[in-house]
Amino acid sequence: MGTTASQLRKDLLSEYQELTFLTKQEIILAHKRFSELLSKEDRNIPTPRVPMEKVLSLPELKSNPFRKRICHVFSTSDMKDGSLTFEDFLDLLSAFSDSATLEIKSHYAFRIFDFDDDGTLDGGDLEKLVNCLTGETDDTRLTTEEMRQLISNILEESDIDKDGTVNLSEFQHVISRSPDFVSSFKIVL
Amino acid sequence: MATFSGHFGGGVQSYFMFLRFLVVLNFLSFLLIAGFILIPSIVFRSTSNMTVDSTGCVCVSGLEECRVYDPNLQGLVVFYQYFLDLLSGTGFMEYSYMFYGYYNNTVAESSGFHYNLPLAYLLTSVFYFAFCLICIITRMGSALRIAVATGSGAAGSYSKMVFTGWDFGCQGDRATQLKQKSIHYQLQVDLEEERLQKKSLSLTLGQTVGLCSLRIFLMLVSLALIGGAFFGIFKATVFSQAQVGAEGILGLFWVYLPSIVITTGNFVVPFMCDQIALFERYSPSTTIIMALFRSVFLRMISLGVLLFTLWSQITCFKDSPKCELCQYNNKEYPCWETRVGQEMYKLALFDFLITIAMLILVEFPRRLFVDHYSCALTRWVGRQEFLVPPNVLGQVYGQTVVWTGALFCPLLPLINTLKFFILFYCKKVTLFSNCRPAVKTFRSTTSIIFFLVVLLFGWGIALVAMIYSLAQIHPSMSCGPFRSLTMMWSIVPNTFYTLSLTTQDFIFYMGSQAFSIPLFIFSCVVLCYVAALAAVYFDRRKWK
Repeated sequence: MGTTASQLRKDLLSEYQELTFLTKQEIILAHKRFSELLSKEDRNIPTPRVPMEKVLSLPELKSNPFRKRICHVFSTSDMKDGSLTFEDFLDLLSAFSDSATLEIKSHYAFRIFDFDDDGTLDGGDLEKLVNCLTGETDDTRLTTEEMRQLISNILEESDIDKDGTVNLSEFQHVISRSPDFVSSFKIVL
Repeated sequence: MATFSGHFGGGVQSYFMFLRFLVVLNFLSFLLIAGFILIPSIVFRSTSNMTVDSTGCVCVSGLEECRVYDPNLQGLVVFYQYFLDLLSGTGFMEYSYMFYGYYNNTVAESSGFHYNLPLAYLLTSVFYFAFCLICIITRMGSALRIAVATGSGAAGSYSKMVFTGWDFGCQGDRATQLKQKSIHYQLQVDLEEERLQKKSLSLTLGQTVGLCSLRIFLMLVSLALIGGAFFGIFKATVFSQAQVGAEGILGLFWVYLPSIVITTGNFVVPFMCDQIALFERYSPSTTIIMALFRSVFLRMISLGVLLFTLWSQITCFKDSPKCELCQYNNKEYPCWETRVGQEMYKLALFDFLITIAMLILVEFPRRLFVDHYSCALTRWVGRQEFLVPPNVLGQVYGQTVVWTGALFCPLLPLINTLKFFILFYCKKVTLFSNCRPAVKTFRSTTSIIFFLVVLLFGWGIALVAMIYSLAQIHPSMSCGPFRSLTMMWSIVPNTFYTLSLTTQDFIFYMGSQAFSIPLFIFSCVVLCYVAALAAVYFDRRKWK
């Protein structure tokens, strides 16, 4: 294929610009990076899908402890294998962009942290979340006792209706009190 | 600058920003001193037809002995003597622009241009202190604004830390691991503090009393250690001052003895206090704060002890006959200000040489040793950890020495600018090549405020020293710009009375009650207004 494989059509470009928080340059750059991930045969099919392993090879996602969850959340694949089309990829970049609102970011953050996809953050989700934050190896995990203490502290602080789990509105309440969430929940190519 | 925080954490970045701030501060101070003291002095020396001796000469007969001052200007000296003189500030360096003794009490008058050098010397020194204070407070204000804006966030801190703690823009394995380690450490520290707090609430009365008495005992032990260090410094200074005139390398050693004792104390005593702290069983953050306060106390007060010893030698606290003639010890100190300046110069230089020597002789070999041989010993020792608090205290100590010595050694800010500048790049090199990131990170927002508070403390000590020298000790009659006065400060009233009568009346009026009370009331009103504005903006931020 040529140097600029399948250029984005202008009408698609303006449509994407309207539907996401990204600027024209960001969409063009995203298209270029996405095309680099495609294998040769996939470039000619209309809506190509990039398997999760290829997406995880991007330098922006490679060392992120939440990379697999991010792929699963934004994937629209029926087989739940975390593969992304170009529109999924744009959704991902839009949610993590500079101009996305706090509600969008907190919504997606909640979905990323919800490891069992049941709509609430229970003890198991929180434990997996903390392990991602501290590192998965044995010497970087918290001890069982510390984990138990931490999870009970978190639930005590954020679980307002005392049902033992953190739902979306309780999560957003905690996020709203933190001023640098918006700037830390950001991935730019 | 961003590379520091990415690789080593925010605390290290704050340290290097603090160091840069000190370099700029010293350079600006040097420009101030050069402009008002150094350049006029050079000009007046070269055009000696303009000089006139100042008025108010204390020319009492019988005091000719006090005016004898011969700084040993020999013709030909052995070559290595120059090197020794460079290190100890004697010989060719003593009678030069470096030290107080070289400046004359010239009052230059020529066709309408009037320049009073002693007055300029005094006022520049005073203004130098005020300028440094303003710089520090401005810097502290901007750092406080950032700290308040990001908030301390005591309530809901665990959920905040867990839900918003991760920076998704963090790229690369090394940065990710560093962030994970620091989150891990932060969580551990907070959880441990909570556990300790709960445990201390649940202690019985007997256990609480036992713990308190243990802590008081250990506090006394550490105070005794620090007191021992002070006594050592006192003895070393007295001994060193008595050895003036010793030759060669041994002479150099005696001359540097106070600096050596201070530096040894600064290494040994905190190390022993750290071992004691293991038994005190405070929570981790309290342990760190206690260790820092002990180090600050040790360093600043040891400098104070050195100054006190020097002053007691100069002014003979014990009313010995040495000081009867000239009100200061003129036999051993014909020009005492130069001697104090030399002491400060030696401290600054020794501090610099020791830091460079540590870098070259300890940190580089340690890295080579650890990287090339792998055995149990090297794994236990590991690479050097870049600890921020001891480095900051070292820099604050150096700056305090400069502030104390600036009155007696006007070129000291220039030397300090060069010293900190070289130190910045040396520390940067050693950081990136020899050190591993500290696991126990220092919080970056509050840390720069802490550094500035400690710097202010050092400034306070230097201020006390300066006020004592200006107002209490008789200046040397044989050298310096104040040689004809009974007190350095008296140049100001003397000049004041030469001003025109209307100016004098105006200044007296400004000091009287009729002016100062309305001024005070006005300042209170302005203060209330500003406080009300600040409260409104703070509330607005909370509601947002």
